[in-house]
Amino acid sequence: MELTALQQDALVEVINIGFGRAAASLSKLTGQRVQLEVPSITMCPVDELSERLRPVIQGDVASIHQIFSGSVVGDALLVIDRQSAAILKELLTNEPALPLEIDASAREVLTEIGNILLNACLGTFGNLLKVQVSFSVPHLGLETLEGVVSSITVDREGLRYALIVHAAFRLKNSSLTGYLIIVLSVASIERLIRAIEQWERDQR
Amino acid sequence: MADERSGEAQRLPAALVRWFSELTYQGLFATDRDLRVIVWNRWMEIHSERPASEVVGRQLTELYPDLCSRGLDQYYRDALTGHIGVVSHGLHRYVLRLPPTNRDLGVNEMPQSGRIGPLSDGDAVIGTVTVVEDVSDRLASDAALRRQIGVQQMARVAAEKALRAKDEFLSTVSHEIRNPLNAVLGWTRILIDRKEVEPDVLARALRVIDRNAAAQVRMIDDLLDVARIASGKLRLEMQTVDLLAVTLAAVDVVGPSAIARGIELRTRLDPKTPAVLGDPQRLQQIIWNLLSNAVKFTDAGGGVEVSVAPLGKAARLVVRDTGHGISPEFLPFVFERFRQSDASSARRHGGLGLGLALVRELVELHGGTVHADSAGQGQGATFTIDLPSARSAQVGRNRGDTPTRIATEAPSLAGLRLLIVENEADSRELLAVTLTRCGAQVTTASSCDEALDALRRAAAAKSLPHVMLSDLGMPKADGFDLIRKVRALAPEQGGRIPAVAVTGYVDLEDGQRALEAGFLSHVAKPIDPIAIAVEVARAARAADERTE
Repeated sequence: MELTALQQDALVEVINIGFGRAAASLSKLTGQRVQLEVPSITMCPVDELSERLRPVIQGDVASIHQIFSGSVVGDALLVIDRQSAAILKELLTNEPALPLEIDASAREVLTEIGNILLNACLGTFGNLLKVQVSFSVPHLGLETLEGVVSSITVDREGLRYALIVHAAFRLKNSSLTGYLIIVLSVASIERLIRAIEQWERDQR
Repeated sequence: MADERSGEAQRLPAALVRWFSELTYQGLFATDRDLRVIVWNRWMEIHSERPASEVVGRQLTELYPDLCSRGLDQYYRDALTGHIGVVSHGLHRYVLRLPPTNRDLGVNEMPQSGRIGPLSDGDAVIGTVTVVEDVSDRLASDAALRRQIGVQQMARVAAEKALRAKDEFLSTVSHEIRNPLNAVLGWTRILIDRKEVEPDVLARALRVIDRNAAAQVRMIDDLLDVARIASGKLRLEMQTVDLLAVTLAAVDVVGPSAIARGIELRTRLDPKTPAVLGDPQRLQQIIWNLLSNAVKFTDAGGGVEVSVAPLGKAARLVVRDTGHGISPEFLPFVFERFRQSDASSARRHGGLGLGLALVRELVELHGGTVHADSAGQGQGATFTIDLPSARSAQVGRNRGDTPTRIATEAPSLAGLRLLIVENEADSRELLAVTLTRCGAQVTTASSCDEALDALRRAAAAKSLPHVMLSDLGMPKADGFDLIRKVRALAPEQGGRIPAVAVTGYVDLEDGQRALEAGFLSHVAKPIDPIAIAVEVARAARAADERTE
């Protein structure tokens, strides 16, 4: 299953609406201009996730993980490399970060940022599908990219496809990239794509 | 049955709520869909200073109006649509404005983090739940950790700086040690290559070689001293010292270069100055370093003055020059090791930048203090040393105010008979030539046995040497054996001849052992003609005083 160019464009557009709202609340919180954009969205089978992400994220990563349920069931993560995570925290709080393992405050801030982004993205999906999605409490993990990916595939059988949403933060002349990974079952993906197509038709 | 089960199911949440209310170490409260408080646990009662009875039924945004201005009302609206919100301390500082629990953190509200989520009944969201955590302890330990890391970083920066200073020093050392070698090697090759050398060229070559070799010896001595001080191995031979005599000896050493540079070197010595407790050689080194430094940084036509005077019960020595002075920025660092005011001046004046560091370390080892003053560049400099006086009786002297006295040459040894004992031919010849030139009548011996023979012959001729000069390191019987055998002789056989030891290498322990064995003093190789002549003259005088 592949996304058509049209479907991709539509998805980018709807997620950008959600991210716009998330960026506005981050800007208000931190008292500085924070921009959030979605340069691209790709879709791939879960098995290929590691392969797809390896060229763009190296080494240890921080991941903020939330499971969601309701009419659509799935797994959502924000994955960001450790160094970018520390920089993001510093830029947002104006406080130097310690190594994440010993900096509970930094972990908490990153958890909140991940939460805001995931909420924005999935909230948009919920609105599109006109369903309510409920979330588990987010938690932050520090491990390798492979560890993150395997925790998805091992824990959530039946989840076949992953949407990879590139999330670009722009603040204080810096630009950082994180990856939102939304893993869905085949049925959920199909429903989402149909809803997107409907939305796209409604826009015309 | 069905009724009973549903009754139990209804009682269970009430029990749970009580558990959460009474026992948790976190704040927990719930609201209905209109954000009116329905649960307010014990922790919330304590920390909000508001009892549940007063809060329940009222709107959260009315109780804490700043929730809206701080954007948290959105988190509650999101919770009502099923989202869970994380409220991090880093981005929000606190959830509710509550009194602080740790005043040391310097904040007006208790620092908190929290979670805001939906209160669900099946698929329906019937309200919100908030969990609040006091993160004061975490912030305190974070702050301590940051301080610790800061201290470590500072220590690392300091260590890196010290390492850099050592690197710079190493390159200075290499450069400075190489410089005199260039001159020595250059002239040596000229002399070797020429079949015949004109006497004036030879004299000039030897002067250059001599001056440069001596400069190198001084540098290496400085380095050895610094290393000894750094490793705590420098030992002082403490005794009651006449500071005036030591000062004069240092003036004697520096005098020639002052004259050569056209600088007037003056002394003002107060005879009431108390004797100090110290190591005479080290005290002389201190004064010599200050004087040569002053001479080095003073231009022709300038002056250097050294004064010694009592200061209460202590002694004060001041070296004042009219030279280049010290800039106020550099003044605090003049006594630091490896520091020279700038690279260009280091190149102009040479030296390792160790002299003043040595001065301070040696003065402090003597229990004294040293400080530098200068009105700025071009304004001259003043170095002041205060040394505690020796408690023992003052050293007698009858010198009066000493006028300028500069020995440009070694003291005259005219009329003195010397016995030189040295196994190495070159050194023996050097000593013999040096001391003969000072007017002494020299007899040489190349071993302990030869020396004893010479003494026997001299005793028979009733012309015992006035002073014996002996190398310590000789094959078979060494200098220590010799002095023991000599001291075993009767006075008329030479048993009380004052003896000066020549130590083969710079080793204080050898020097100390030599004094214990019966030598009057010791001189380190390489031989400085003036120093050796001064030592011989002093030994001869000591013998005179004893017989008087």
